[in-house]
Amino acid sequence: MATVQVSEAEKVYILHGIRDDLRVDGRGCEDYRHMEIETDVVSNTDGSAKVTLGHTAVLVGIKADIGKPRPLVPNEGYLEFFVDCSANATPEFEGRGGEELGTELSNTLYKVFNNKHSVDLKSLCICPGEHCWVLYVDVLLLQCDGNLYDAISIAIKAALFNTKIPRVRISTDEEGGKEIELSDDPYDCMRLNVENVPCIVTLCKVGHRHVVDATLQEKACSVASLIISVTHKGTVTCTRKVGGGSLDPESIFEMTEAGKRVGKALHAPLMKVLQQEEHLGKKKQKVGFLG
Amino acid sequence: MPTDTKRVRGPEVSQSPSLLLCRPPVVLPSQGPRADGRQRDQVDVRPVFVRCGLVSQAKGSAYIEAGNTKLMCCVYGPRETERKDETDMKCGRLTTDMRFAPFSCPERGSWIQGSQDKDFSLMLHESLQPAVCLHKYPRSQIEVNVMVLENSGSVLAHAITCASLALADAGIEMYDLVLGCSIRQDGASCVVDPSYMEENYCSSASSENQGGLTVAFLPSLNQISGLQSDGEMTEEILTAGVRTCIEGCYKLYPVIQQALAKAVRKAAPPPSES
Repeated sequence: MATVQVSEAEKVYILHGIRDDLRVDGRGCEDYRHMEIETDVVSNTDGSAKVTLGHTAVLVGIKADIGKPRPLVPNEGYLEFFVDCSANATPEFEGRGGEELGTELSNTLYKVFNNKHSVDLKSLCICPGEHCWVLYVDVLLLQCDGNLYDAISIAIKAALFNTKIPRVRISTDEEGGKEIELSDDPYDCMRLNVENVPCIVTLCKVGHRHVVDATLQEKACSVASLIISVTHKGTVTCTRKVGGGSLDPESIFEMTEAGKRVGKALHAPLMKVLQQEEHLGKKKQKVGFLG
Repeated sequence: MPTDTKRVRGPEVSQSPSLLLCRPPVVLPSQGPRADGRQRDQVDVRPVFVRCGLVSQAKGSAYIEAGNTKLMCCVYGPRETERKDETDMKCGRLTTDMRFAPFSCPERGSWIQGSQDKDFSLMLHESLQPAVCLHKYPRSQIEVNVMVLENSGSVLAHAITCASLALADAGIEMYDLVLGCSIRQDGASCVVDPSYMEENYCSSASSENQGGLTVAFLPSLNQISGLQSDGEMTEEILTAGVRTCIEGCYKLYPVIQQALAKAVRKAAPPPSES
């Protein structure tokens, strides 16, 4: 992760502020920064979204390919995640520098979606045992200013909402082989139900309190963070402690409860914003990348 | 995707014969005693066998067996580190590596480190780092290598215990031993220290609360140094699970301490009273 150097005096300042529920930019301990979400930004994908959270910018593109289902689950499709840390974000990511961070992020995403309810995988099946839809979720980090997990999970939820999977028809030809036909109408497509897709909340332990959506300076003052992924019902799909410090069991219980509260409250406004954007349709103002 | 360019492999389409079994998939019962006779919903960890100092070339080593799970860990260091970043001047660096032998799981794995192996190595690193006094080893590097010989469930938890034992055997200064414990939540009941079957084959058809949780704990400091969960659980079940894992770690603590004391006594026998 891109790091900033923070002096001891600055650390004490940030610590004392957080102790009194006042962060450097005036937020409370459980407030997010200004978030902008835009979907359908890349026309070559089946679904895409761009999320800007403060100075962190993340772009997600989803492409649906037809592939062979996994041997153990022949009547389900699957998702493949890949996170690329672009060298645009910081010079540390040049060449293979960002690979470690990218692998860590991808592995966490696999764990977050590793349950039966987040995405309905059975709807991605075309022909059991032979063909299924594989959704390749590719995440690109454009700018790095802390709190990558949250931004990535919101972008993935928005991109999955925006994904349009074309409808296919299976027909058998003379020899009994199966042929797949894509419908000609580009608007005849299947949409995914993203109600149960979880959102990740990162809580950083700073001093004796925890903060949500930490900037890089606040991260430099914390020893450990807890990542918790929460669905709209409040079910926790993945938790993970990151960082080189240890946490008290009581802090972990407190942080889990706070994470669940914040995560649960994130879903309703997010779905509303996505549905509003969808309704605007052609009248939507495209902001793009330079807005 | 990493590919193996050094070996001549057979055709790519080899599969494990277990996929062609005619039997319906194993469905484990969700009530009653577990397959190996242990109890549900109680802190019933498998008895462990630990021994330190098995690898003569390594600075410190440990071997742990819990049920059929067998792992060994070697520690090398502190050694001089090549990279002279500023961070290395003040404190040492800990590198961890966890690998599975290809024959360790029921389906053959590969020698190339997959992303799951890297994930385990990272978890191991995060769990061990708070416990090691790295500031006492500036400009040095300590390497921890764990090799899983047989995977019969709960591998990460036992790897954490084994690695901290090996670090202690190597004489690396630590604040406390790190012990690992894992549970699997299955509907309304939880099983502590799950076996491979219990981890991978979800038993009941109930869709609520299916998941696994691994906790790394420092007993005498009462600190959690590593936490990882997946699957779906409510927050209350997660909290109860963390408490259960902490209890499991306390149960394991005296056994590990005894093994370490025995190894130290064997290496340097106390002067005989005469």
